[in-house]
Amino acid sequence: MIYSLNAEEMAQLYERISKEFETYGTVDIQGDITFSRIESYDELRIGRSDKPPKEFLIGRNENVLVFTEPNKKAVFGVMSCDLKGFYIMDKQIYGKDPFYTARRDNTVFINYVCTEPCETGFCSSFGGPLLNDYQIQVINYENDKYLIYADDAYKSFFEGFKQASKEEISKVEKLMHNFNMKQKKHEVEGIENRIKWNSKLWDEYAKICIQCGACNYSCPTCYCFDLNDVGEERFREWDSCILAGFTKTSAGNPRESLASRLRQRFYHKFVYYKKSKGEYLCTGCNRCTDDCPVDIEIKEVIDHDYNNE
Amino acid sequence: MAQISVCPYCGTGCQIVVPEKDEPFSVSGYKGSPVNNGKLCIKGYTGLNYSFSKERLTYPLFNENGNFIRISWEDAIELAANKLLKIREEFGPDSVAFQSSAKCTNEENYLMQKMARVFGTNNIDHCARSCHSPTALGLINTLGTGAATGSIKSLEGTNTFFIIGSNTTEQHPIIGSKIISEVKKGKKLIVADPRKIKLAELADIHMQFRPGTDVALLNSLMFVIVKEKLYDKEFIDSRTEGFNELREEVIKYDPIITSEITGVEPELVYEAARTYATNRPSAIFYAMGITQHIHGTENVMNVSNLALITGNLGKYGSGIFPLRGQNNVQGSSDMGALAEFYPGYIRWDSDKIEKFAKLWNSTLPKKKGLTLSEMFDKAADGEIKAIYLMGENPLITEANIARVEEGIDNLEFFIVQDIFMTLTAAKADLVLPAASSLEKEGTFTNTERRIQRIFPIYKPPGEAKPDWWIINKIGSRMNLWKEYSGPEEIFNEIREAIYNYSGATYENIYPVGKQWPINKENPDGTEILHTRSFPLGKGKLVPIKFNPPSESVDGEYDLIMTTGRNYFHWHSGTMTRLSQILEREAPEPYIEINSEDAYERKIRNGQLVNVKSRHGEIRIRAKVTNLVPKGIVFIPFHYKESRVNLLVGENLDPISKIPEFKVVAVKVMP
Ligand code: SF4
Ligand code: SF4
Ligand code: SF4
Repeated sequence: MIYSLNAEEMAQLYERISKEFETYGTVDIQGDITFSRIESYDELRIGRSDKPPKEFLIGRNENVLVFTEPNKKAVFGVMSCDLKGFYIMDKQIYGKDPFYTARRDNTVFINYVCTEPCETGFCSSFGGPLLNDYQIQVINYENDKYLIYADDAYKSFFEGFKQASKEEISKVEKLMHNFNMKQKKHEVEGIENRIKWNSKLWDEYAKICIQCGACNYSCPTCYCFDLNDVGEERFREWDSCILAGFTKTSAGNPRESLASRLRQRFYHKFVYYKKSKGEYLCTGCNRCTDDCPVDIEIKEVIDHDYNNE
Repeated sequence: MAQISVCPYCGTGCQIVVPEKDEPFSVSGYKGSPVNNGKLCIKGYTGLNYSFSKERLTYPLFNENGNFIRISWEDAIELAANKLLKIREEFGPDSVAFQSSAKCTNEENYLMQKMARVFGTNNIDHCARSCHSPTALGLINTLGTGAATGSIKSLEGTNTFFIIGSNTTEQHPIIGSKIISEVKKGKKLIVADPRKIKLAELADIHMQFRPGTDVALLNSLMFVIVKEKLYDKEFIDSRTEGFNELREEVIKYDPIITSEITGVEPELVYEAARTYATNRPSAIFYAMGITQHIHGTENVMNVSNLALITGNLGKYGSGIFPLRGQNNVQGSSDMGALAEFYPGYIRWDSDKIEKFAKLWNSTLPKKKGLTLSEMFDKAADGEIKAIYLMGENPLITEANIARVEEGIDNLEFFIVQDIFMTLTAAKADLVLPAASSLEKEGTFTNTERRIQRIFPIYKPPGEAKPDWWIINKIGSRMNLWKEYSGPEEIFNEIREAIYNYSGATYENIYPVGKQWPINKENPDGTEILHTRSFPLGKGKLVPIKFNPPSESVDGEYDLIMTTGRNYFHWHSGTMTRLSQILEREAPEPYIEINSEDAYERKIRNGQLVNVKSRHGEIRIRAKVTNLVPKGIVFIPFHYKESRVNLLVGENLDPISKIPEFKVVAVKVMP
């Protein structure tokens, strides 16, 4: 269903949701936007968060020997590029990873759609910020006007609210169209065939990469983890494929060089996942570049002319 | 709600955003920070688990004949105070030594040194002795301030980066990445390092000099600068003194002659000298590769010579950057947790210390204090009866640890305050459980002199308490002061004690900190030091003569070993080795050895070898690599399984008393 709300009604919507869910949202910490527990709608600050909301589903570091039924959580202020990450990850881990699955089923993400392109993101190269998959999607298209796409599962929260008119919907669609026109396009389609195993890019990157792991930790689609037994507990911790230990086995390391590990990351995103799941493991959020201390650019990997290097 | 804090590892002092308890726990970089702009290295991302470890100390422990029994805080404080007072009564105040910590806050370091001095002794020191004491002494001697002269941000204005004795991308990764980003834009990079470090690969010039020959190398650079008149005459005339004497010395170091000593081709020296002197502004970065030598202080002064004669000081983008190891080693030194310095680097024997007698309402000790290694030495000799040690693990990190152990075993009373039962704590009579940096309030000062705040975001485990709380209690029980209400009150006293801190308040240094000097003249802090003059007036040029390192190879000990850290671990490993990811990346001790050296000794990659020096022997796995040149081996010092410091001798820099960690003659046997 598509609804039309004003600011006051948005606050009411929050109230209704908060009766059933523990509420989280993006807040402002001295200019930094970050996810936090929130107690009122006023605390919410819409903006790109410093890190993706991945931890709501995959703990940073958690004991996996005890399973506790997760609380029902509602997360306000999730950007489209971050939300899309979950839908992409679903294909690989939903139903297989009991922790992820249980949390996924118990969490509602309230997606706030950007109406102006951000500085570095390139989501329109992946279809733009208006998503086909969502639970509750909010577009604040004019000062006091909010258009909301909501899955029918959440119908009860919208009781008494106005349904959107045709004009309102077309206004938003036009806005989204303009958004996609405004943002510079990067030719992602077909990258799986263009990218080259022996490209000089990988060596160039290896020379400067400091192995900080940011490109994995900041990515809304990276889901790899490492398992460790500590006493009676078994910890699962976010991992980084840039680190040598990631693939090390007792038989040695198939990706000994940093260049091969950097390449692996891009191949996983643009070749392997596409071939096995039909989708790129990337939403165009550009976080991996924004947080990379040596400015290794994912857009370059996409735009690079592999045939003429 | 989340809180802003500071990464507890290196001196870069990256600001982090830490969520509160019960929120999904993960750290991210604070985007508003001028230090790291939201970026972090792997230690920042994955290294904070230790704070939540089940191995944390949770209550005070008393060592009863080898068994640790739990006691109350009340009893622990009573015991500590009574013992120290009793020993003072019997043997005098100088029979007690205090060891502070560069991991602790400014407030805690200030209080610790105040405790020592009001107690009646200058026996106060900490691990800065083993890393940057030559910097403090050297730069104070030549410029008047022992600290980095510029800001991290100012590197955007640098045209030539000169890195000597710092593996920056591994030890100060975010500063290293800043340099990489600038070099990518076409800035020049000169690296002088015996090892093929990452930055060497990107460098325009890499001078692979032999360990311990830095003085010869730096003098040969100045030889070229003098010979080709590439120096900044105006700067030399108006801002320095001693140029003629310096010239006399450096003209003896023709690169053709020094290449015999350093192993560096003369052409490289010429090119490096020309680039550094002419492609300005130029900035020099150094770390332990310069300081951990018997001529460490002289090295630092020579770095200062080079910057002074080329006018590379006092301007945006130029400067000298001693890269500080520990997160708060700048601050702990500023606070005067050093045998020879009171807060603000006022010498123990100067008249100016009268101000502390007033501020602390106490008489002050008249005797020179002992440095870190001397404390253990004197303990072994029976002169030091008690040590109160906070947050250090000397049984792994000190040189000549056999002697350290002897000293500890000989103590009448040994107090260790830490967050873990370290190798050192296990030898204590009294173990006091401390809070981690995520659990307490205070300030840290990073390598660019930025004073930044931390907050108690989590509750300490069990009965663990912040270090300031513990020192505060013990000090007031000994009647050294009236109990402080909290870190802010201590900080306000620091502002009275140190003029360069006087303008900082808890309020105005939040959220992004301010760089000292912050005072009446510089209310917003100071990004670039020495823009108009030096605290000394004129910068002092000090001719430095090359002397070979105390250890050299012979027929038996035929390789030179240097020691240091790797990217994944921190010092004695008590924190990083609890992070599964970091531990996985570098799980065991190793020795890096050049493939030719390995071949000659029939050593395979991964094989266990014996490494023997004139002082000790350890067994360790070989990593055959060409990152180290022939003739040189490298061992990181993080591992309690094979403590490399068993191999390091007692040779000290006569000025700063820093041990020579970087040059040890060894033999390696399969
Ligand atoms: S790969 Fe980079 S741009 Fe793509 S989703 Fe991950 S962080 Fe975003
Ligand atoms: S973010 Fe950049 S520097 Fe860090 S691991 Fe990724 S590519 Fe390397
Ligand atoms: S560079 Fe230093 S301060 Fe910054 S995250 Fe890494 S260890 Fe922490």
